[in-house]
Amino acid sequence: MLEVRNLTKVYDDGTVALRNVSFNVPDGEFLVVIGLSGSGKSTLLRCINRLIDPTEGQILWDGVDITKLEGQDLRNLRRKIGMVFQQFNLVKRSTVLTNVMAGRLGYSPTWRSITNQFDEADKKRAQTALQRMGITDQANKRADELSGGQQQRVGIARALMQEPKMILADEPVASLDPVLAHSILQHLENLNQEDGITIICSLHYLDLVQRYSTSVIGLREGQVVYQGNKKQILRMTDKEFKTIYGEEAERMGGISGEIGEEEDAIGEEAAK
Amino acid sequence: MKTKAQTTEEKPSLVPPVVAGLLSLILPGLGHMLARQFRKGLVLLLVFLSAVGLWIWRINDAARREVGFAAMFKKAIQLKPILLIILILIILLYIVIALDAYKTAGKGKPNSFLLWLLVLAAFFILGWQIGEIRPAVLIRDGKNSLPLLMRVLWPWEKAVHYPEELLIGSADVVIPCTENAEVPERVVEEGDPYVTVTPDCGDLSEISGAEGTKLRMVGSNFAPNDETEIWWVDQVRNEFRYRYGGEYVKVVTDENGSFELDVVIPYRVIPSTGGKGYAVWQVEARQVASVGEPVLSEELKLSVEKMIETIFLGMMSTFFGVILSIPISFIASRNLMSANWFTKTIYMIVRTILNIVRSIESLVWAVIAIIAVGLGPFAGILALTVHSIAALGKLYSESIESIDHGPVEAIQATGANWLQTVWYAVIPQIIPPFVSFTIYRWDINVRMSTVIGMVGGGGIGYLLIQWIRLLDYRSAGIAIWFIAITVAILDYVSSEIRERFI
Repeated sequence: MLEVRNLTKVYDDGTVALRNVSFNVPDGEFLVVIGLSGSGKSTLLRCINRLIDPTEGQILWDGVDITKLEGQDLRNLRRKIGMVFQQFNLVKRSTVLTNVMAGRLGYSPTWRSITNQFDEADKKRAQTALQRMGITDQANKRADELSGGQQQRVGIARALMQEPKMILADEPVASLDPVLAHSILQHLENLNQEDGITIICSLHYLDLVQRYSTSVIGLREGQVVYQGNKKQILRMTDKEFKTIYGEEAERMGGISGEIGEEEDAIGEEAAK
Repeated sequence: MKTKAQTTEEKPSLVPPVVAGLLSLILPGLGHMLARQFRKGLVLLLVFLSAVGLWIWRINDAARREVGFAAMFKKAIQLKPILLIILILIILLYIVIALDAYKTAGKGKPNSFLLWLLVLAAFFILGWQIGEIRPAVLIRDGKNSLPLLMRVLWPWEKAVHYPEELLIGSADVVIPCTENAEVPERVVEEGDPYVTVTPDCGDLSEISGAEGTKLRMVGSNFAPNDETEIWWVDQVRNEFRYRYGGEYVKVVTDENGSFELDVVIPYRVIPSTGGKGYAVWQVEARQVASVGEPVLSEELKLSVEKMIETIFLGMMSTFFGVILSIPISFIASRNLMSANWFTKTIYMIVRTILNIVRSIESLVWAVIAIIAVGLGPFAGILALTVHSIAALGKLYSESIESIDHGPVEAIQATGANWLQTVWYAVIPQIIPPFVSFTIYRWDINVRMSTVIGMVGGGGIGYLLIQWIRLLDYRSAGIAIWFIAITVAILDYVSSEIRERFI
């Protein structure tokens, strides 16, 4: 159980990215964070694994306040939380395998990892992760030789190497075409359902949100303006939509009444 | 920017157009300043003042002996008519600035094309005059440098050397004919060239023109079909080449290496015969014959040796430069040093030092290093190392500053510590620029070391400048060829390596 309490983040230049944000994420949830660009989604995700230090508030994970962790404790926390990025953030000139093995760094002694020595168990884990993501035959290619969808799978494989309890996905499909977007989100859904990994994911497209999330929070200017579970998302009203995305926003597809049909359509697409 | 332009359009000029124009006649640019075009006015004022100042300087320079401006002006214009053209341009510029100010203060935006064209023309002609550019001289006298240039361009005649041997056969002549003259015994070994004369004594020619005794000279065992010179050696060993009718006498040997020739004993103010009453002269046949295979010349060998020294000089200074600049580059990167005021201060100080060191040319560093460690390659290595550290430190730190932060974030998120993050996310990103900058620097260092050599920092430059000073342009040409070949090879190799790493 992840509990975020009154989280506030003010950057050095005075920008208020998060304002008093509170919500709970039970284990095994697929939480989607929605909101416009600049609404604080990325900051929120990065506060959870402390890539960004929050200014005020608490984040409790299984009762431990994450915001107070330092040094080795912080690194031990981070290795339990995988992270997937919009730009994949692979080391482009390294091989796929090296990128995947990097997910194990939090568990490896420093001197062994900088001489590229990993033990057999880690190598086996990497094989499994690559297999699971369907990129075994790409293992020895340079990361930048891969297509966007394949790179994101490497990103997920890297996160899997951490044997995470939670995965943070910062707009993981924003740089991908719709078909690839579904395939990547299905991989995440798979991890969520089969391995019970909690997923916190920020997304832009409402149809994807409705298809994959088990609960949703909406951020606007750093504040939580919407919270809902699976059923409520499917019935999201225009008014709720506009509180999240602003008055000028216009809803494209995914109107509450036609959700059923759309879900079928997505199902068919995925089946292809 | 856009809003600024709009506000200037909206605000009217502070003075009416005519006043602006007149003010610009008093002080060029003042009209623009008061017509809310302050910057343009300032630029025009500075441009005008510097043009006038430069023109006065050139007038002074051209007629420095005259007293009084009027006399100077007259003389300078007479000597350098181009100064008059510049004056006309400056006057035109003065008028056009005033007109432009008039239009600027009025409605609408003036077309200042003519104005800037005049500015450009004035400075171009000033530059022409100051630079003493004389294309006519280049065309007229340039051809004088062609023979020299050819020697530099094709110096390879000096690349090989044919070992030569002087073949000498000589015979004694007693002057005048004396019985029982003491003639030293002569031993001619089998196969050596020898000469006989008949008769073997006689009288000298006289200054009046009366010819001396004619001798039949027969030579053998010389190199076949080769030119042979005839020399006389008098009794005090003075050597002089034999002339007949004002011309040096030469004979060409036949295919057996033999020749026959009539020689007349020449006129000579005879040194004392030492009371013996006669003198023993020798008549010699001399051949310069190349023997054996051609060998590489000393100049070529020296060039190769010094070229190797130069390459290693460049290599070692690059090596030391890289080793020392890598740690420096990390503390000179803004993104790694922005943690607090202390690290920021270090960053500022290091960057400043790097900039100062870099702005001092390696040639100057070489002179300083020579004072410290004396002439030779070590001074060159020191100079180039210092300059390399500064240049590479800057280039490296800039490439560290421009890395993609994404992978760093991603590796941090896996729970990696600082060293692991640097190793996995930073190093792979900076390898390509580091490799390419390093090779680029090696390239520069090898080229620079040729120049460093000219002030005594070792390497081929030292030879080059010496040969140029000795006017030995062929040898200098060899050195230049080696430099060119090495730089070309290095260029190719470095682009290959760079391609492989990026």
